[in-house]
Amino acid sequence: MAAPNYITAYAKIRSGKVILNGETGYSANADEPAADFVKAAYKHYELNYPKFYKMDQLCRLAFVCSELLLRANKVTANYATEDIAIIVANNAASLEIDTEHQSTIADADNYFPSPAVFVYTLPNILIGEIAIRNSIKGENTFFIFDTFDPRFMNSYIHSMLNTGRAKCCIAGWVDFYENKYDAFLYTVEQTNNGLGIAHTEEQLNNLYK
Amino acid sequence: MSSKVYVTGIGIISAIGNNVAETLDSFNKMHSGVGTLEHIISRHQADTPVAEVKASNAELAVMAGFPKGHEDTRTALLGTIAAKEAVKSAGITDMKEFRTGIISATSVGGMGMTENLWMQYLDTEQSGPWLKFIESHECGDSTEAIADSLGIRDYLSTISTACSSSANSIMFGARMIKQGLLDRVVVGGVDSLSKFTINGFSTLMILSKEQCKPFDANRKGLNLGEGAGFIVIESEKAAKGKTIFCELTGYGNANDAYHQTASSPDGAGAYLAMEKAFNISGLKPADIDYINAHGTGTEINDLSEGTALDRMFDKKVPMISSTKAFTGHTLGACGGIEAVFSILAIKNNMVYPNLNLVTPMPELSFKPVTELKKDQKINNVLSNSFGFGGNTSALIFSRVKE
Repeated sequence: MAAPNYITAYAKIRSGKVILNGETGYSANADEPAADFVKAAYKHYELNYPKFYKMDQLCRLAFVCSELLLRANKVTANYATEDIAIIVANNAASLEIDTEHQSTIADADNYFPSPAVFVYTLPNILIGEIAIRNSIKGENTFFIFDTFDPRFMNSYIHSMLNTGRAKCCIAGWVDFYENKYDAFLYTVEQTNNGLGIAHTEEQLNNLYK
Repeated sequence: MSSKVYVTGIGIISAIGNNVAETLDSFNKMHSGVGTLEHIISRHQADTPVAEVKASNAELAVMAGFPKGHEDTRTALLGTIAAKEAVKSAGITDMKEFRTGIISATSVGGMGMTENLWMQYLDTEQSGPWLKFIESHECGDSTEAIADSLGIRDYLSTISTACSSSANSIMFGARMIKQGLLDRVVVGGVDSLSKFTINGFSTLMILSKEQCKPFDANRKGLNLGEGAGFIVIESEKAAKGKTIFCELTGYGNANDAYHQTASSPDGAGAYLAMEKAFNISGLKPADIDYINAHGTGTEINDLSEGTALDRMFDKKVPMISSTKAFTGHTLGACGGIEAVFSILAIKNNMVYPNLNLVTPMPELSFKPVTELKKDQKINNVLSNSFGFGGNTSALIFSRVKE
């Protein structure tokens, strides 16, 4: 008999709104440029992490979303850092910064690649940024899907928790490309330390919507 | 399901030999493979030593047993040569006898071909036979070429996690055997030298202009190398009645959570990976007779790894060496190549020297072995592989108890 597992907190950043556990927090005009909105949210919540300014847009979005999620549910205080997993997916991988990097090497006469940009040309770097910020050393994987896939995420995370590979998981979807952004991160735990929403495909669908 | 994972075959090609016998001969003669780049035109040719496999692609195609005129990436050729030797040494003749898979690791894939042809790819006015190589760029291409040449059909996967790639492919294969998903798997990895890696690592300023000196206080960086190392691992059922080299008793992979590229100075991830490997094997650090270190010769790796080893072994580190001064750092292939070295250490009761060591690092309690040692009793070997981004892995190979 598989353990039930619970979604204990969630955060969403989408269409000019930050939503924490269902409550709308900071918001702006939905047509505010994505990069400006994420930076404004970072300032609004006084996240105060200077490395934020070195990050690409995808990592900035993931960082703000993860910080707010962990403020709502500080799993790093309740679990050993080796027992916390991070499983995230998206659609556009790191195309936003890939394109920027490409523009610096496309012209032989105007060739100025930067290692500081290049290092972000992999989407799983966003997991690295969350891990580095919180010293999280557990299992981690980044997937590329067409859209958020609650069925896959649900079964993957259940299996990971139920086979003892992790005791808690920070999971979700973080996508940023061509001024479109969508972040949805949530914590899954074996005991109910928060919202107590059953970790099921249906609930993930409802929360993501 | 199989609770044990046995090693029944080994195959290798690197700058110190095109097969297992030549490799052992180089160790016996203390011949390093580090020298001058010959098969790639590079601005770094004169000032940056590398450990290149001593054969052209045409010569490698013959060794791989490909038909005359067959063209493939250097990565696919090197991988096929080592994987074929491993399968032959495992005595496998019928791929249908058991569910057989291949998990190959690589970090550059077909980059060597792409960097010679990409200008032609971009010229849309021209069409020609070179276009068939576009697909060879991606990492999975070499795995498919190896699988095709071996006739492996049941499972195929490619792992690319920088310098821990091969160790992770071995670990992944072992887990599939333990889960009962496969009976035997060809695991390991391959990387060929390319302008991409030579120029890229040069930009990172971690390439030594002289022969690398792992664990030396005055180390100046790494030498890049190329090659392939594959092993055949089998379940108890598949290995029954066969000659067994040793058992893969432990494996661990962890995340350093320190920096996007660099390892942490205290080797937190390295420690975690070794700890996981010990937990799975049921062995204690005191049971290890020899450590084949990752030991790249860079400032950061050797300090990070050495610090983690001192902590893991409570400053009682057993015989240890890095073989990178023989083979260069073969990136995605090093875990496979060094798995073969670890297995041969057990089989032949030998320990390889850490070449070029003059002044041991003052930060560490241990001094690596500097001479070839024979007639040792080597029952358990720990092999470390650490990748960019803090992807750290450790494997433990153990003599099978009589």
